[in-house]
Amino acid sequence: MKRTRKTATAALAGMLTMAAGSALAQEPLKIGVPTALTGTYADLGNQAKRAIEFAAQQANAAGGIAGHKVEVEYLDTEAKPDLARRQAEKLALQGNKVLIGAVASGEALAIAPLLARWDALYVATINKSDKMTGDSCTARMFRVNNADSSDAATATPWLKERKETEWAVMAADIAWGRDVAASFAKSTESQGKKVVSENFSPLGTNDFATYIQKIKNAGAKGVYVALAGRDAVNFATQAKQYGLLDSATVAGVSFVTDNTVASIGEAAKGISGIINYSSTLDTPANKEFVAAWEKYYPGTTPSNFEGDTYVGMQVIFQAVKATGSVKAADLAKAIPGRSYDTILGNVLLRKEDNQLVRPNYFGIVEQNGGKLRPVIKMSVPAEIATVAPSPACKL
Amino acid sequence: MLIHVLNGLVYGGLLYLVAVGLVLIFGLRQVVNFAHGSLFMLGAYVAYATIAIAGFWIGLLAAAIVLALLGLLLDRTVFRQLQDQDPIVTVLVTFGLLLVLEDFVRTVWGRDNLTVAVPQLLQGTVDIAGASFPIYRLFVIAAAAVIGAGLTIWLKTSRVGLYVRAFAADPVTTGMQGVDTERVSASVVAVGAGLAGLSGAIASPLLALSPAMGGSILIESFIVVVVGGFGSFSGAFVAALVIGQLQNFGIVFVPSIASMVPFLLMMAILIYRPEGLAGKAS
Repeated sequence: MKRTRKTATAALAGMLTMAAGSALAQEPLKIGVPTALTGTYADLGNQAKRAIEFAAQQANAAGGIAGHKVEVEYLDTEAKPDLARRQAEKLALQGNKVLIGAVASGEALAIAPLLARWDALYVATINKSDKMTGDSCTARMFRVNNADSSDAATATPWLKERKETEWAVMAADIAWGRDVAASFAKSTESQGKKVVSENFSPLGTNDFATYIQKIKNAGAKGVYVALAGRDAVNFATQAKQYGLLDSATVAGVSFVTDNTVASIGEAAKGISGIINYSSTLDTPANKEFVAAWEKYYPGTTPSNFEGDTYVGMQVIFQAVKATGSVKAADLAKAIPGRSYDTILGNVLLRKEDNQLVRPNYFGIVEQNGGKLRPVIKMSVPAEIATVAPSPACKL
Repeated sequence: MLIHVLNGLVYGGLLYLVAVGLVLIFGLRQVVNFAHGSLFMLGAYVAYATIAIAGFWIGLLAAAIVLALLGLLLDRTVFRQLQDQDPIVTVLVTFGLLLVLEDFVRTVWGRDNLTVAVPQLLQGTVDIAGASFPIYRLFVIAAAAVIGAGLTIWLKTSRVGLYVRAFAADPVTTGMQGVDTERVSASVVAVGAGLAGLSGAIASPLLALSPAMGGSILIESFIVVVVGGFGSFSGAFVAALVIGQLQNFGIVFVPSIASMVPFLLMMAILIYRPEGLAGKAS
């Protein structure tokens, strides 16, 4: 009797160890998302969240990534750099060392220098500042979306076609807005055009009336806008009321996106802009993605930021598959210099500056498929749209 | 130049309607209501929902009434219990209330930015001094002026207004004179909350609706209240106009520090004239 109990105990202990062992082999891929869930950029952060949730459930439904279950934690950063650093640290220290999805460039730049200390990595899917792949680049940070330099390279040929010579810039007073304004000023100058009014509004500005009036008074025939989220909607709505949208050519970056156009409504019609990703992209992988998305989020199509964030998840997943590891240190080594099958097609994440080499697009807001949305009118191939790595980045 | 002044009046007018509610609630309940911005935000959302069904003007009315009723409820359940508490307690509780209301709106209407169309009657622009100015913005200035004047007349001439002013000056003595302070306070908090809701509704065709919209207007309204002198109605009026113009002309003349200008004014007031523009030194 005593012996049977002993045997049973031993057997049970053995079974428990084995269970623990198999759980270890199936160590989950723990993803941390420090992003703007409230505030002016909540709209963008929420798009990142939707895409990550979608990618995670898709992976888990297929039995995980190489057997690793995908787990995701979200923390709100309000798009503030100092808060993003604290939240990213919290996520990393809780074991969510694969970070993705912050909105403002300032957030990514605040996180980047600390990634090695946390033994974490960060995949940028919305942050655009050139500094991230320039003098602030690190071996632990990767970018899958188009950088500011890519948007500038895409806007320049469009600008060349335009007859308007006097331009105004309306940009958010953050790293990204300043970046866009600087490169737009360079483009206009090189083409013999002129920026007659340059305006920077604080994040979360309610009333743009004074800026709009200044732009009108300066006699600008065109307006280039770098505002996103709630700022973009406020500016567009008020510019329409002042007649600016009708009297001047208006274009922008992250200004008329799938989501802001849905908010702005009719007033957005005819506004041009950079389109980094569109659900109408004609690749088999993208069609499959859009169909699955429409099933998971009925009544919606993936927006630009949702598509780009999904690309980020594809890169992470494929790196996990290639290495069989979910450790940030292993992944950070494996991600650069590799080609990925994404919804954009097969694209390389180059190792010189950890930037994904991808095309970029320009378009206009018009009726398409029964819906007002940004529609692609011009494609810029990857080798032109992703400008050569900055010599300032030494990896 | 005239156009810039008008622009300043629009935003100043909105700020005044929010700030005067803060002053009313502070005067009667001695509570600094951090949730006031979310009442503004909720007003805009109530208007959004009502306008879709019943049109713009009913939307304005609905926002004012719903928020006034919410004000009554909040006074009964929150502000009355808080009036004798430590200020830090009232700040924490009302700030918590703000988070609750924001989450409520996020749950009901989602996180996307929403917009409200300008009513048919007020669409388009008029030419003023050679520049075009949206008619709706003229309406906002007029509405703020009418509401402000109505409020002043009510406070100066009605019996309740007399009680309110007496109460703001000395609650204990006013109570000893046989004034039913609870009823007066409840109705005044309702008016303050209703005004916040109404200004949110009036602002809805100008500003994108998002749960965050209350936060930014609250900060600016607090600056108005501090600059005007805490608890002063006329001070809030003057300060709202001053801040509206300062923001405006800051952007025109000193764009790089424009967002700091109102804060600089507030600091100067706190240092050199802590009783506020209209306050009397005690």
